[in-house]
Amino acid sequence: MALPVIEIASGIFVHNGVQEEASAANQDAIANIGFIIGADGVAVIDPGGSFAEGRALRAAIRTRTDRRIRYVILTHVHPDHIFGAAAFREDHPDFVGHAKLPGALAQRGDYYLRRLQGALGDGASGTEVVSPTVLVAGRLELDLGGRRLTVRAHGPAHTDNDLTIFDENTRTLWLADLLFVERIPVIDGSLGGWLKQLDELTAIPADRAVPGHGPVSVLWPAAAEPERRYLAAVAHDTRAAIKAGIGIANAYREVANSERGHWLLFDEYHPRNVTASYKELEWE
Amino acid sequence: MSGRVTFAFLLLLVLALPGPAGAEPTEAERMARWSDLEHAIFGDRVVEDAGSLVAIDAPARAEDAAIVPVAIQVAAGLAPDVRGLYLVIDNNPSPLAAHFVLGPLAEAREIATRVRIDDYTYLHAVAETADGRLYATARFIKAAGGCSAPAGKDQALALERLGKMKLTFADRSSPDAPIAVKLLVSHPNSSGLQMDQATRNYIPADFMQSLDVTYNGQLVFRLESDIAISEDPSFSFSFRPFDPGNPGVIKAEVLDSSQRHFSQSWPVPAAAQM
Repeated sequence: MALPVIEIASGIFVHNGVQEEASAANQDAIANIGFIIGADGVAVIDPGGSFAEGRALRAAIRTRTDRRIRYVILTHVHPDHIFGAAAFREDHPDFVGHAKLPGALAQRGDYYLRRLQGALGDGASGTEVVSPTVLVAGRLELDLGGRRLTVRAHGPAHTDNDLTIFDENTRTLWLADLLFVERIPVIDGSLGGWLKQLDELTAIPADRAVPGHGPVSVLWPAAAEPERRYLAAVAHDTRAAIKAGIGIANAYREVANSERGHWLLFDEYHPRNVTASYKELEWE
Repeated sequence: MSGRVTFAFLLLLVLALPGPAGAEPTEAERMARWSDLEHAIFGDRVVEDAGSLVAIDAPARAEDAAIVPVAIQVAAGLAPDVRGLYLVIDNNPSPLAAHFVLGPLAEAREIATRVRIDDYTYLHAVAETADGRLYATARFIKAAGGCSAPAGKDQALALERLGKMKLTFADRSSPDAPIAVKLLVSHPNSSGLQMDQATRNYIPADFMQSLDVTYNGQLVFRLESDIAISEDPSFSFSFRPFDPGNPGVIKAEVLDSSQRHFSQSWPVPAAAQM
């Protein structure tokens, strides 16, 4: 079955992930994933959260074009974005990842796979950890034929292996999980680094952005504001908690309470965000 | 050396026990497990119920099982007699998480650290007095997955900062109060339970084996530990300098399982001193 996708700009298709945790019912199709079609081929941007979702994405591509799937871009290590990669092996694409992705996969791949098997049961079958075959440390230009994509590797932010993709033809900035809209951002790299990356990213003149979670297309840079506000509140309040001698276990109760109600899955992720931020900021 | 032998022995013992995977253990099985652990760590010595003399402060349910803050607290009446504190995480792959040997300068009222917890478990804290008595207390905690959970959010930073330490002094309520200190050690303290999916090899364990904290050359405490201590180990403790009027230097020395040695010193500032 083909995954439902929306054409947000000419030749750019995005599947809207559900705002839930991974489960057997949703096949871990919880992230925004999709593909870009050029004259000479197709680039997949995140193959999805499971082999099953990857297959469905591939089917969605094949209902629209017969052109070769040349690239599968893995925007970062998180399973909801890249665990569908094995579904594209038969196309022999370049699997493009951040230079630090192999290290992160070595640390976490097995753990993520077991956790997915726990959440999806049989629904996880076929899912494998696929290592990138092309690594990006700075920038990489991909030519899809009359369509140039710029893949950029970022410093530690959402994770320590985040990629973004810019499509020059439509001035579309695909941010993956460097941008969360509606769903609470997950801090798994560096809070300070993320705020810094946002400063640079919001300076990019793009007509639209694709967030990793939230609507399939948003205005840029306006859509970054809630995320920046949340991250800044976490940074400010966590610093204050450390200074006041509040322990790491209780700090989340004192941090960014004004943000509760603005985000989906707040209680599921906010305490861990604060723990991670506390660990980062207590070294200042 | 006996500490090392105990740690190695315990790991063997636990591998031989039925693992925590599978059905949730019954209360009777949990009691039997502690009985085995008690025997493995303390031999035939009598371990008394601590009653209100010793307590464990920890969240009932941990938000992040890889970073669970735990404090061992000792009643004021018992504290001057305490020479050692043990922290046992019954259902962890390597249950003896920490053994603190307290020196003459240590204030035994409270020592806090952060640990990994692998499954719902009892924590046990045991205080050992100068005359060899052992007082144990228990606390149940709901947390799971902490030992195999991936660490290292920013791996480049972790490498660059390896072995660096940070020490902060808390404000003193009065010149007579002990000096309260928080010590951070940048170290992955990796458990060896994480697998590299590409090579199918386990990432080798690399953890802090011992930490010695001294003040002007005199022991505050020595810690013997292993994989249960969280990434970037953290310790909060207090000590009383013998000569509070003189400036002093506090020093921390770490030896890890890769035989790396890290050491750092800090002058005790006048505000904390006085």
